[in-house]
Amino acid sequence: MQRQVALIKQSLFDQGYLDEQFVELEELQDDANPNFVEEVATLYFKDSARLISNIEQALERGSFDFNRLDNYMHQFKGSSTSIGASKVKTECTMFREYCRVGNAEVFSLFRTCDECRCLRTFKQLKKEHATLRKKLEQYFQASK
Amino acid sequence: MLAGKAPGLQHPNSNSILRGLIITLAYDDVNRTVTKRLLEKIGCEVTAVSSGFECLSALSNVEMPYRVVILDLQMPEMDGFEVAMKIRKFYGYHWPLIIALTASTEDHVRERCLQMGVNGMIQKPVLLHVMDSELRRALQSASE
Repeated sequence: MQRQVALIKQSLFDQGYLDEQFVELEELQDDANPNFVEEVATLYFKDSARLISNIEQALERGSFDFNRLDNYMHQFKGSSTSIGASKVKTECTMFREYCRVGNAEVFSLFRTCDECRCLRTFKQLKKEHATLRKKLEQYFQASK
Repeated sequence: MLAGKAPGLQHPNSNSILRGLIITLAYDDVNRTVTKRLLEKIGCEVTAVSSGFECLSALSNVEMPYRVVILDLQMPEMDGFEVAMKIRKFYGYHWPLIIALTASTEDHVRERCLQMGVNGMIQKPVLLHVMDSELRRALQSASE
C-alpha cells in the first residue's frame, strides 16, 4: 500500500501536476495535524469549484468582461499556487494574459480571437483541474 | 498601547523570539489556512482574518497584544496597502510590525512598502524557512 502511495505521488510530480509547494504543505503536517494536506486540498477544490462556476456564468453572458474574469483568475491562481497545483496555475497565467491582451485590444475582430483563446484555455484549465482532483483523491484514499 | 513587554522577548536569541501573537490577513480560505498553519508550525499564536476591518478590530483588542501582522498585498477587492496605511494611522509606526506577502518584487512595490511603514516583505508562495527568518529579522531589528 505504501508503495502505491509513493508511486501515485511520484507520478503527480513527474507529470507536472504538482510542484514543490505541495512538499511544503506536507511539511506542515504532523502528529497534531495529521490530515492537514487533505484538508487544504478539500478547501481548494471547494473554492475552485465556486470560481469555475462564477467564470462559467461570466463567460455565458456573452460579452467578455475581461476585468471580472481576470479578477476570478487572480484568485484561482493564488490558491492554486498555494497548494502546488502546477498545471492549473499555468493555465490561469495564460488565461490572465489573454484577458490582459483582450482588454487592451481595439479591433473587435482581434478581440474575438482573444475571447476564443480565453475559452480554449478555460476548457484546458477545467480538464487539468478535474484530473488533479481525481488523482489527489486516489492519493489520499491510498494514504489512509 | 501594546508596545510594552511582548511575550518571548526575554530571550531574544532563542526560539521564543517567535512566540507571540500574530494576525494573518489573506483573502481566500486556502491561503489563510496555509499561512496560519505555517506560522503555528514555527511557534506563533495566530489569528486569521479575511478583511481589513477584522484585522483592525482584532488589533483594537487590548487583551491580545499582537506583535505582527502578516498582510497579503494582492487581494482581490481589498487593497493591502490601504490596510497597512490604516494600521499605521491608528497604531503608530512601532507596533505591530507589518510583514507584507507579495507576488512581485518590483521596485515600486518595495518603495510603497517602505513608505507605508511595512517592516518586511516575503515573496509568495511563502516558504516556511523564509517566513521564519524574515520574522526573526523583523523582530530582532524592532527590539534594537
